[in-house]
Amino acid sequence: MTLLSVRHLVTSFPTDRGPARAVDDVSFDLATGETLGLVGESGCGKTVTALSILRLLEDTTAHIDERSTIEYAGRDLLRLDRESLRRVRGAEIAMIFQDPSASLNPVLTVGSQIAETIRAHRDASRRDAMARAEELLRLVGLPDPARQVGAYAHELSGGMRQRVMIAIALSCEPKILIADEPTTALDVTIQAQILELLAGLQQRLGMAMMLITHDIGVVAGLADRVAVMYGGQIVEQAATADLFRHPTHPYTEALLRAVPRIDRPTTRLATIPGMVPPATSWPSGCRFHPRCPHAWDRCAAEMPPPLPAGGGRVARCWLIEEPERRAS
Amino acid sequence: MSGEPLLVLDNLVKEFRGGGLFRRGPPVRAVDRVSLTVRRGEALGLVGESGSGKTTLGRCALRLVEPTAGTVHFDGVPVLALDRSALRTLRRRMQIVFQDPYGSLNPRMTVGAAVREPLEVHRLAKGTTAIERVARLFDEVGLDPSIADRYPHELSGGQRQRIGIARALSVEPEFLALDEPVSALDVSVQAQVLNLLADLRERRRLTYLFIAHDLAVVRHLADRVAVMYLGRLMEAGSTTALFAKPLHPYTVSLLEAVPVPDPTAPRRRVVPVGDPPSVRRPPPGCVFHPRCPHPSKDSRCSTEVPKFREVAPGQWAACHYAETTPAPPTLPHGR
Repeated sequence: MTLLSVRHLVTSFPTDRGPARAVDDVSFDLATGETLGLVGESGCGKTVTALSILRLLEDTTAHIDERSTIEYAGRDLLRLDRESLRRVRGAEIAMIFQDPSASLNPVLTVGSQIAETIRAHRDASRRDAMARAEELLRLVGLPDPARQVGAYAHELSGGMRQRVMIAIALSCEPKILIADEPTTALDVTIQAQILELLAGLQQRLGMAMMLITHDIGVVAGLADRVAVMYGGQIVEQAATADLFRHPTHPYTEALLRAVPRIDRPTTRLATIPGMVPPATSWPSGCRFHPRCPHAWDRCAAEMPPPLPAGGGRVARCWLIEEPERRAS
Repeated sequence: MSGEPLLVLDNLVKEFRGGGLFRRGPPVRAVDRVSLTVRRGEALGLVGESGSGKTTLGRCALRLVEPTAGTVHFDGVPVLALDRSALRTLRRRMQIVFQDPYGSLNPRMTVGAAVREPLEVHRLAKGTTAIERVARLFDEVGLDPSIADRYPHELSGGQRQRIGIARALSVEPEFLALDEPVSALDVSVQAQVLNLLADLRERRRLTYLFIAHDLAVVRHLADRVAVMYLGRLMEAGSTTALFAKPLHPYTVSLLEAVPVPDPTAPRRRVVPVGDPPSVRRPPPGCVFHPRCPHPSKDSRCSTEVPKFREVAPGQWAACHYAETTPAPPTLPHGR
């Protein structure tokens, strides 16, 4: 069942060189209990997409296009009044970020921060909220939760802080968890712990998750479906197994071949020539065409829409219509 | 392909003054009795998580920080015994590239001047000769020489890292310490820089000490790997052997923890429990013992520091029970 439905999301920022369309016509669905991986390199628009969903860019200069819609439980989040929006944030859709220390209040104990979130959304006594906070800390695997409810953020390691952030996010049993690079700042053994935790919690609580990351290894292990972003657009969407086995979009293919592998020796890495264009001057036609080994004149002239490529897979690439153009 | 020892670290120790207000706490041992040899022509990968001491070790090797005890020899020269001018002469032969090229480049100096500067400091070239050499270096690292008059902020992260590499190469060193050279870069740019480093190594017959937290990157680039944890060496061996059959339980945990970009790979992992302890209070005995999943773990592990010993030919590990370390259960090891 579709829980969240994003259609034609366009988020732009004014700059000296005109509007930067950081997110440019992004559409996707998130189903109940599903994990969608949103991957891409810096500046592809993955974080702005997430922030747009919760309207966390409202106090900035960002502008979301009037034609964009973000439907959740029959309502358009982009047209919700402030009070209704506040009730959705945290209680229905929660978010965790890369740097947990920036999101935690240094002068409040972690227990009271969790309790505060609960009391902001639910009618609960302080005592009940604190009891629930302790329960949540246990759920996210914090050792000795009865003592740790009284801990301050600086007393905890980076991994433990991220567990606290997850506890805060889960405190009102959200239907959707948006995790933006949740393990990027962590060491690899701690990253593994947090990823296991997220996978376990998601199954147990039946939430849907949007996992935003630059690490395709992370999505391979966790996501049911993957959306690859480039130049402010989703260039390919597919079931995880399909995407890794047979990438359709040349960018996806190049990205998969550019990573060194932990599971096998690699000799020479495939590279993508050139660099990511700035959002103020996206190339004409297909955003990837200047770097694409298969591009022909149509790619520079016409922007490919999301085209169905069979088996529920969608990609913005003219090769779907003209497969004989694929250079071998 | 690798020859005689070029860089030899023996029992190297680096302590930093204690923490706390007024720094009166006990000294913190960032590097604890590490002995390591880098042979001429090889790429040695030094891996570890934060607080492992890998960066400090790299800086001690070049004497960018002064080690507390131990010795460093570069091509037979006792690096720690050199006076300032002798050290400066030696630095022509050993250079370092940092993770964040933005932090290591002067923002008010054009990138061309940044690459030219070492040539002038070491009196290797000046005037038009220097400018020509800079242009050749730009070309060698894959940069258009016409960007020489730009400033660091006008370049992308990948371009800046190429500048960092060109600057290090300008004095024609034999040895490069590369401290997380690609970890700030996006995947597609990272691949370009890794390929560049491989090409340069071959063309200039360079020796690398490649410091990184990313094991996949190290596997890709290094001939040999050394693994550090809480200031100590846990394991060292050829890349092939270490990835096929890691001998230290910490190495096993590290390999298991890395997400594999293959959705069909088995998911169940042996993840070490808990956090790494603070370097301020390293556990007694084996520093990894509180998190160690080795089935033979016993009281000896918490009391006796394991010797760093040759467990298999050319493969060293600091574990009492390295002979019986279980293989990583899920990682498929290709040949």
